[in-house]
Amino acid sequence: MSDLDKAIAQLRACRPIPEAQVRELCHKARELLIEEGNVVTVAAPVTICGDIHGQFHDLMELFRVGGDPPDTNYLFMGDFVDRGFYSLESFLLLLCLKVRYPDRMTLIRGNHESRQITTVYGFYDECVRKYGSANVWRYCCDVFDYLALGAIVLGASNTLSPPNEHISSEDYANADIEIEVCNADGDIMSRFQRRSDGERSPNGASASAGEKTGPPGSGASGSSGGSTGNPTGAVLCVHGGLSPLIDTVDKIRLLDRKQEVPHEGAMCDLLWSDPDEIDGWGLSPRGAGFLFGADIVKVFNHRNDLSLIARAHQLVMEGFKEMFDASIVTVWSAPNYCYRCGNVAAVLELSEGGGGESIMARSNGDVGRSDGGMRGVMMESEGAIKNGPARRYRVFQAAPQDSRGMPAKKPVADYFL
Amino acid sequence: MAAPSIPNLLSLRGSRGGGRGRGSRRGGPFGGGAASGPSHDTTIQGTDTDASVSRLSAVDMGYLEDPYAQYFVQNQMGPPTRRLPIINRGEMKATGEAAVVSRMFAAARLDRLIDAFLSSDVGSEASRKQIVSLGAGTDTRCFRLLSRSNVAGLIYHEVDFPTISAKKRQTVQGTPALRNIITPDPHQAEGDTFSTSSWSCTQLPNNCQYWCHGVDLRDLAKATSPILPGLQPGVPTLLVSECCLCYLQTSQGKDVIKHFTEQMPDLSIIIYEPVKPNDPFGKQMVANLAARKIHMPTLEVYCEPTDQETRLKEAGFQVSKARTVESIWKNWISSDEKERVDELEGLDEVEEWNLLADHYLVAWGWRGKGFEAWKDI
Repeated sequence: MSDLDKAIAQLRACRPIPEAQVRELCHKARELLIEEGNVVTVAAPVTICGDIHGQFHDLMELFRVGGDPPDTNYLFMGDFVDRGFYSLESFLLLLCLKVRYPDRMTLIRGNHESRQITTVYGFYDECVRKYGSANVWRYCCDVFDYLALGAIVLGASNTLSPPNEHISSEDYANADIEIEVCNADGDIMSRFQRRSDGERSPNGASASAGEKTGPPGSGASGSSGGSTGNPTGAVLCVHGGLSPLIDTVDKIRLLDRKQEVPHEGAMCDLLWSDPDEIDGWGLSPRGAGFLFGADIVKVFNHRNDLSLIARAHQLVMEGFKEMFDASIVTVWSAPNYCYRCGNVAAVLELSEGGGGESIMARSNGDVGRSDGGMRGVMMESEGAIKNGPARRYRVFQAAPQDSRGMPAKKPVADYFL
Repeated sequence: MAAPSIPNLLSLRGSRGGGRGRGSRRGGPFGGGAASGPSHDTTIQGTDTDASVSRLSAVDMGYLEDPYAQYFVQNQMGPPTRRLPIINRGEMKATGEAAVVSRMFAAARLDRLIDAFLSSDVGSEASRKQIVSLGAGTDTRCFRLLSRSNVAGLIYHEVDFPTISAKKRQTVQGTPALRNIITPDPHQAEGDTFSTSSWSCTQLPNNCQYWCHGVDLRDLAKATSPILPGLQPGVPTLLVSECCLCYLQTSQGKDVIKHFTEQMPDLSIIIYEPVKPNDPFGKQMVANLAARKIHMPTLEVYCEPTDQETRLKEAGFQVSKARTVESIWKNWISSDEKERVDELEGLDEVEEWNLLADHYLVAWGWRGKGFEAWKDI
């Protein structure tokens, strides 16, 4: 068993590894990440995850529900640290897995992967508490600076593979399912067929909020209604959202990302922005990034041959929320966020497409760079996929209290009393 | 999405976000000690420590202006305890720090209610007004209101456990800045134990008075005749319960209100407490509070804002209204103020804030004279 495997085993038991080992790990991780482009290209199948926020036991639950790495390919959209009690163990485990299985593990940066934010929201304090100094926090922050800003998933299928071993794949080949929601045990909770039945809304809440439709002509709607589709099936993954300074994926590739997250500008926006039921752009209540409406997403997706943007960053009580005719989805993977929000979590599974397009080498972000970007991201899957990718959401709850091992001294939660 | 179609929003933003998270430290003393099996009373009294620590933290960060908050937080050694931004934001309006918040949220419902009440001219009784703050604890509103030169004829009562009110007297007496505003009268009324926990200052400028009653609210609920000295039944009176009545049994809470409705014709009430215990966030909130041994019996009865309106109607108030803090924030705080607050500290918990704010409410109601100004609010 290699040192790395030992570290993985130790971290899986929620025990921190020694400082010297963290240093070595972070050094290796940096060497690996420095080679990645700002936008990593990932081949389906892949399971896309949202915020983790140091909820280590819930991350273990996520692996139980979504499949253990490296058997399942994972893409984590940032915010590994802060708020929860085990940011350190959570991030270091993900980083170990990244170093051990670089092609099966993709980590992109969230707005909490930042020196400033981690000093306010807990990761800094946690490191000092667990190691007696800020060294480990510094090593981790140096890694943060090298994390990619986004990912493009190629080769996602427009049909699903079965959610568990009890269902034969033939049932799936003909079913033409666009959206499927499963519980933590892999049982199907709801399914939505592609495009034929009109009213589809896997999100209970978004359906009830669905009266607020967008402005005439924009097609905006609060409910998730399946995809009208773009035949390419490429999916852009980014922590927050879009930026008024970024109109093509290639412009993301040109950023100088190897720095602390700035307070404004394109890089900041990608990590801080949120979709909202507005026209165009608006100021964000977060004080960083922007709000962007359905029209912005649709123009961006069309221009970049994307069928979907997957992002995280916003707590959604049902774990996921599709918006704007399924042109963008929020995935949230921290159940009972901050041990008090009472929400469920979800991961998004994209299956690999049929035919040869899935046998595509992982590339580090330079796909299509030379042809102007207009066709770049879609090259390898053109023609094979006629619609948006089929999406399976696996919804799960917080790990049982007894496995959580919450420190006895910690407050359960803060309320205004 | 060519350049001309992109509005230059950055120019609107100025230097927002620049202040986010300057190497702060926050320590641990949330929620008081984990001593073995404190009584429910002690636990509830501990929530006051919580509130005072949060209040000071909010002051330190510029959310609130309250020069008196510092004197009520014990153990001021070391750096100030800093809480997460969301708790500060909640504190600044959710705990209804009305007088203080009035500077930050001139439009906030609570401030408007209290200010409108204080400034309305009844014409009779030499325009006297009375405020009774239930479970006031270490609240500093009395100092802020009574030091205001434009506040006249105000009789301010606070009611809390004898241990709490005795401690408050000690703090006031030992702190010149507080003593200068409210100087405890040398000798209190009859009774021995009475004088340390129940005290007053009846010679305040502008014809104001301050009374601190060391009375268990459950005794108030049981009392068949008026037991609070200094309380003037004929004066228009505002009852304030900020997370207080919710800790009593529902019937006791009713009886406390009844104690006042029975003797006062011109009466109003402002209640601030949790709401919506039955949705996912609310269920978790109830479970988490239970883990801290905090129970709110009335929360099970008054689940929705409409239940609170009915509660006040049934208690005898002619008009009653209830709004969640979230809806107050959305509808009553000016966008300028919102932006100002957003700029104070990058708030990354917008959704969490909305959830939290949606589970606290302000309910208010009135009957009789003295509250005409409330009609327009």
